[in-house]
Amino acid sequence: MTATVTTHEDYEHASVTGLSIRPRRQLRIGRILMFLLMIVIAIVMFYPFWFMISASFKTQAQYIAGSGFSLDSWKKLAETLPVGQQTMNSIIVCAMSIAIIILVSTMAGFAFAKLRYRRSTLVFLMIIAAMLIPMQSIIIPAYVNISKLNLLTTYFGAVIIYAALGVPFATFLMTAYYRSLPDELLEAALMDGLGYGGIFLRIALPLSIPAIVTIGVLQFIQIWGDLLIGLLFLQNPAERTITVGLGALSAGRVTEIPVLMAGSLVSAIPAVIVYLIFQRQLVKGLVAGISK
Amino acid sequence: MASRAQSPLVRSRNRAGVLMSLPAFLLVAFALGIPIIQAAYYSMTNWNGITATWIGPSAYWKELTNPTFWRVIENNALLLLSVPVAIIVPLGIAAILNERVYGWRFFRTVYFLPTAVSWVVIGMVASRFFAKAGMLNELMAYVGLGWIKTDMLSNERLALLAIGITFVWSMIGTNTIIFLTGMATLDESTHEAARVDGAGYVRIFWHITLPQLKRFIQFAFVMTVISAFTALFSLIFVMTGGGPGYGTTTLEFFVYQTAFAKGAFGTGALLGIILFFIMAMIGLAQLKLLRTDD
Repeated sequence: MTATVTTHEDYEHASVTGLSIRPRRQLRIGRILMFLLMIVIAIVMFYPFWFMISASFKTQAQYIAGSGFSLDSWKKLAETLPVGQQTMNSIIVCAMSIAIIILVSTMAGFAFAKLRYRRSTLVFLMIIAAMLIPMQSIIIPAYVNISKLNLLTTYFGAVIIYAALGVPFATFLMTAYYRSLPDELLEAALMDGLGYGGIFLRIALPLSIPAIVTIGVLQFIQIWGDLLIGLLFLQNPAERTITVGLGALSAGRVTEIPVLMAGSLVSAIPAVIVYLIFQRQLVKGLVAGISK
Repeated sequence: MASRAQSPLVRSRNRAGVLMSLPAFLLVAFALGIPIIQAAYYSMTNWNGITATWIGPSAYWKELTNPTFWRVIENNALLLLSVPVAIIVPLGIAAILNERVYGWRFFRTVYFLPTAVSWVVIGMVASRFFAKAGMLNELMAYVGLGWIKTDMLSNERLALLAIGITFVWSMIGTNTIIFLTGMATLDESTHEAARVDGAGYVRIFWHITLPQLKRFIQFAFVMTVISAFTALFSLIFVMTGGGPGYGTTTLEFFVYQTAFAKGAFGTGALLGIILFFIMAMIGLAQLKLLRTDD
């Protein structure tokens, strides 16, 4: 059940050798063409970032004219969109949701892997099956339920939904991870007089930090970029996340494009930074569904 | 472990297991399980969020004979046509990167970058790209097609194409990474043997690499289909708002529109249940595919 991912680095040396059989010149031209193609694709993939950066440093008039440089749009951004507060809201909502997801899924994963009880497989399957439920299918009753609990004007309504949507996959991943720990390790700890809670906290949890980081990164990018749940469950403008603030602005269609682009950039930067630091963990999380 | 006799030790382990898995179960049950049951019930009522009158299963019949519903399903079907593109292009890119082109690590990072960026931001830029005064028309003018002057987002059919193109663009990174990961697990010795036997690059790719990547291609395919059905809400919200007309309203967007713009919570719940059925079917098909592989 382990989610093992062999990275490219492992094969780096193995694959270079076989190529030298073909004629040199043909090979070199082929490689140059491939390199050029990759550059073209890189430009296509990077275009939005370049567009956001270049547009945000223009005024609306300069943007239409197609040239010029100005910091005006960045100054206007603060009046149009409370970026500081909304970024803070995004951080709070992400942190609360991810904390709940990790707390709940590590405990459950440990129980399903190492503390199996009668019907534990059934409970596990019920939780995993919830992965099939699209958020759009539950959002209407969930919205009414949360509004009846008076949680639409707090962070908690959105946090509960984000957490519940994240827990099934996180539990799947953690169960797989804990199954790969040898039983002898736990039995030895038991002999030493550690209780099950102690084994979990002092042995299993520290060993599973890589899997926890993977879940954290994956969920951060998902929750940070979510619009639908934030739009519905964060009714109080003071609690809106940056993605929701931006989405609401775009629907109004009155804002100047350079200002919108400055806002987009602000909302994209934290996720891009997390991505650049944790690229490897993110990839692991993405392909974890393949290896059973 | 579970089948041993009930010693005190086993009993305390069982208790710990139940206690530790309880929070996950309760959270999922209350926030997902109960709402999906409620949705199934309210889908057969005339519900406005406060009061509901019972209609019965005929509510489904009524919706299934609604032309707008089929217009929306048509949009979903058309979007599915973009899935093969979102598989084939990344396969090609991954194959080239896997040849260790100069700077491939850098390229990999750049291609994967959109995965980190929200659909809202992608939609913001894409709307400017496809706009009348946007980059697309500039590019067309540059290659001598300036007379076309498209305004894709205000045309009922072309708007969906614009959404599809943006969707494919954003899936390229994720799928490329999936295939690269797959290629790293390939058995290099068969490739070596084929090369020694004089097989060309294309033949090796077609007959050896692709079959070995089958699981990864299936996985990417299913993930892309799921995204096409359930991940495009923000993109549509930002780029077109579902229009012009119903031109870009997909099922997931229709759920939102029906419930929160029109206040028809019952019909919205019904559409959500239909979406759930489609997703469940795809999920089961995937499970079956994985099973038959072993």
